[in-house]
Amino acid sequence: MEEVSEIVVGLLVLVLGLTGLVMASGALDNGIYIFGLTLAGFAVVFEIGLIKAHYDRKERIARGGAAGHV
Amino acid sequence: MFIRQETVEKNAILMVVLTLIAISVGGIIEIIPNFTIETTIEKVKGVRPYSPLELAGRDIYVREGCYVCHSQQIRALKDEVERYGHYSLAAESMYDHPFQWGSKRIGPDLARVGGKYSNDWHYGHLDHPQALVPESLMPRYAFLAETPLDTTMIGRKLRVSRVVGVPYTDEQIADAKKDLLTQADAAADNEALLKRYPKAVQASGKAGEPTEMDALVAYLQVLGTMADFGSVEPAKIRR
Amino acid sequence: MEERLVMSDITMGAMAGHAVPHARAVVYNDNVIRKFTIATMFWAAVAMLVGVVLALQLCWPAFNLGFSFTNFGRLRPVHTSGAIFAFGGSALFATSFYIVQRTCRARLWGGEALHNFIFWGYQTFIVMAALSYVMGYSRGQEYSEPEWHLTIFLVIIWVAYAIVFIGTVLMREEPHIYVSNWFFMAFILTVAVLVLGNNAAVPLSMYSAKGYTAYSGVTNALIQWWYGHNAVGFFLTAAFLGMMYYFIPKQAGRPVYSYRLSVVHFWSLVFMYIWAGPHHLHYTALPDWTQTLGMVFSIMLWMPSWGGMINGLMTLSGAWDKLRTDPGLRFSVTAVGFYGMSTFEGPVMSIRSVNALAHYTDWVVGHVHSGALGWVAFITFGAMYYLVPVLWNRKGMYSHKLMAWHYWIATLGIVLYITALWVAGIMQGLMWRAYDQFGFLQYSFSESVNAVHPYYVIRMVGGLCFLTGTLIMIYNLIMTVHSSTTERQPAVAGE
Repeated sequence: MEEVSEIVVGLLVLVLGLTGLVMASGALDNGIYIFGLTLAGFAVVFEIGLIKAHYDRKERIARGGAAGHV
Repeated sequence: MFIRQETVEKNAILMVVLTLIAISVGGIIEIIPNFTIETTIEKVKGVRPYSPLELAGRDIYVREGCYVCHSQQIRALKDEVERYGHYSLAAESMYDHPFQWGSKRIGPDLARVGGKYSNDWHYGHLDHPQALVPESLMPRYAFLAETPLDTTMIGRKLRVSRVVGVPYTDEQIADAKKDLLTQADAAADNEALLKRYPKAVQASGKAGEPTEMDALVAYLQVLGTMADFGSVEPAKIRR
Repeated sequence: MEERLVMSDITMGAMAGHAVPHARAVVYNDNVIRKFTIATMFWAAVAMLVGVVLALQLCWPAFNLGFSFTNFGRLRPVHTSGAIFAFGGSALFATSFYIVQRTCRARLWGGEALHNFIFWGYQTFIVMAALSYVMGYSRGQEYSEPEWHLTIFLVIIWVAYAIVFIGTVLMREEPHIYVSNWFFMAFILTVAVLVLGNNAAVPLSMYSAKGYTAYSGVTNALIQWWYGHNAVGFFLTAAFLGMMYYFIPKQAGRPVYSYRLSVVHFWSLVFMYIWAGPHHLHYTALPDWTQTLGMVFSIMLWMPSWGGMINGLMTLSGAWDKLRTDPGLRFSVTAVGFYGMSTFEGPVMSIRSVNALAHYTDWVVGHVHSGALGWVAFITFGAMYYLVPVLWNRKGMYSHKLMAWHYWIATLGIVLYITALWVAGIMQGLMWRAYDQFGFLQYSFSESVNAVHPYYVIRMVGGLCFLTGTLIMIYNLIMTVHSSTTERQPAVAGE
C-alpha cells in the first residue's frame, strides 16, 4: 500500500511540478508566474520528502519495526 | 422504490449515489430553466457589450473587490428606486462576466452611478474619498492614477468574452486597442468609438498613457446608462 | 426500538475507539491528523486576526493604509477564505480523518504519501489563494475568489480527499456506516459538485491568471448563490454536524439520542439545502418563481436543522452534570445552541418581506458570524480540546481554568458582535427606507454610514475578544503538548 501510494503520488506531483515550470516559463502575468514557481517548488520539496519517508520506513523495517507505523 | 436505511448505511456506494441524487434535484429544477434566456432576460434596447476601456475598468473593479462593499442591483422596492433609480433589469447585466450584484452595502449601490457625477468628481473621490465625502469608509485608490493600464491583453479579453457569449464583432476585436486609447484620452476624436459603443463616456486621461484610474472611471460612468427605458413597455418587463 | 439499539451499538463501538478488544489491532494514521490540527489552530489565529483588521478598517478607514494590497476589498477574501477554507477546512480534514478511522475501525486508506499530499497540497493552496487575493487576482464572486488555476489545483486535492475518505469507508470493519460519515460523505461530494459548477470559466490564456466566468448576469447570480448557500449548507453545516455526531456523544459518554431522527434529518437536510440559494436574490432581476421556491425551501429547512440541534442537545440527557466538569463539552453544547439560533434566524431572514429590510445590511453579517463563531468555531474548539490530549497522548488539558477563560471571553465576544450588528443592520434597513413628512427619503446614504459607527466599534471589540480567546486556547494547547504536568503516568497509559 505505502509503496504504491508513493509511486502514484510521486508521479502526480511530478506532473504538477512540470506543469508549474511550463506555466511559469510562459507566464503573461505575475499571478501565473508565482503560481508556477510555487508549484514547482512544492513538487521538489514534496518529492524529497517522499524519498526520505521511503528510506526511513525501510530502515525501520530493517530494524524490526512495523511497516507503516510511525 | 423505497430503500431501507439499513441497506443504505451498509453500502457506501449506494449511499454516495443516493446523496448525489438528493443534492441534484433542487439544483436542476432551479437552475436549468434560467438558461432559457427568452423568458429570463427581457428585451431592452441599448444594452451593449462594454467598450475595451470599460471592460478593462471592470476588471479593475473586480480585482479591487469593489463588490464586497457596493451592490449593483437595485431591488424593486419603492425607496430603492427613489434613491438609486429604475430597478435593475436582467438584461442590464447580461454581458457581465462575472456578475457584480454584490450582497452588502457598506457603500451605496452603483448600478446607476453612471453620469451622476462628473469625471473630475470620480478622479478626486477615488484619490481621496474622505475629501469629498467626510463620512465615507472607502479606502483610498490613489495608486490607480499612478499605475499605467496594461493594454497588452485587451484584444484577447474581447475575444475570450466572445467565447463566453458576449457578441463582440470582428471589427470591435480588431480595433480594441485603438478604441481603448481613444476613450482614455480626454482630447481624442471619439466619433468612431461612439458608433461602435454608443454612450461611451470619455475618460480624462492623457493621450497614449491610459492609467487604471481612467479605465475604472470610464466603467463607472457607463454603469446603468445603457438601457433605453423608453423602448420597453411596462407590461413587457416581468413585473 | 430495534434500530435504536443498533445505533447505540455503533456509537458505543465508536466510543470504545482504539480500545476495541476484538479482531486485530488497527494502527490508525494519526500523523496527518496532528498536522491538520496544528494547521487548524494556526489558521484560526490568522483568519480572526485579519477579521479584526477589517473591522478596524470599517471603524476608521485610515487603517487601509492606502496600499493596494492592504485595502479592505482585497483583504476581505483573505478573511472569508481563511475562516471557511483554511480554519474550517483544516478542522474538517483533521476531525473527518480521525472519526472515519475510529468509526470504521480501519486505517486511513491510500497510504501516507497520499495523506501528506492532501495536507501539504491543501496548505499550499490556501497560501497561494491568499497571496493571489492581495496581489489582485479574484474571480469576483464571494467565497469563490480563487482564479481558475487555483481552482484546478484545489479540485485535484479534493479528489484525493474523496478517494481517501470513501476508500476508508469501503474498507471498514463495522457493518454500518456511522452517522458522522454520512454527513462527511455528503459534504465531500457536494462541495466537489458546487465548486465544479460554480467556477466554470474560460481563462484568457493558459499563461494568464485572469479568466471570465462561463455564466453572466442573472444566471451567474443564481449559480453563485446555489454555490454560496450550499458552501454554508454543506461545508459549514453538514460537515460540522458530522463532527458534532462524534464528539458530543464521546464527551458526554452517551449514545446519540435518536437514530431515527438522525436518519430523517440527514436526508431532508441534504435534499432541501440545495434549493435555498435564491433567498439571497429577493426582489432582484431573478425570476420571481425561483425566488419564491428558494424562500419556501429555506423556511422548510428550519425543521431538519433543528432535528440536528435536538439530537445533539438531547444526547446530553442524563449527562448534563458533565458541563460543570468538562469545559470542552461546554463549547460543543454552546455551539449546538448557536446552531439552533442561527438556523432559526436564517429562515426568518429568507422571508421576502423580512429580507427586504435585512438584505444589503449588517444584519446579514451578524447572522453569518453567529453561525461562524458560535457554531463552526465553537464546535471546532470543543473537538480540539478533546483531540489534542488524545493525539499527543497526554492526560488531559494543561489548564481547565484557561479553557473557562477562553469560553467566557469568546462567548462575550460573540454576544457583542451579533447584538451590535443586529442593531446596526436593522437601523441601516430602517434608515434607507425612511420617509419624512413631505414624502421624501429622510436620510442620505452617508447619514446611515455615520449612524452605525459606534456599533462597528463594538463589533471590532467583540471580534478582538474572540481572537483573544483563540490565542488563549492556542497557548493552552501548546502547553498541553509540551508541559510535564500533562504527561501520562506509565501505569495508566492503557486508559
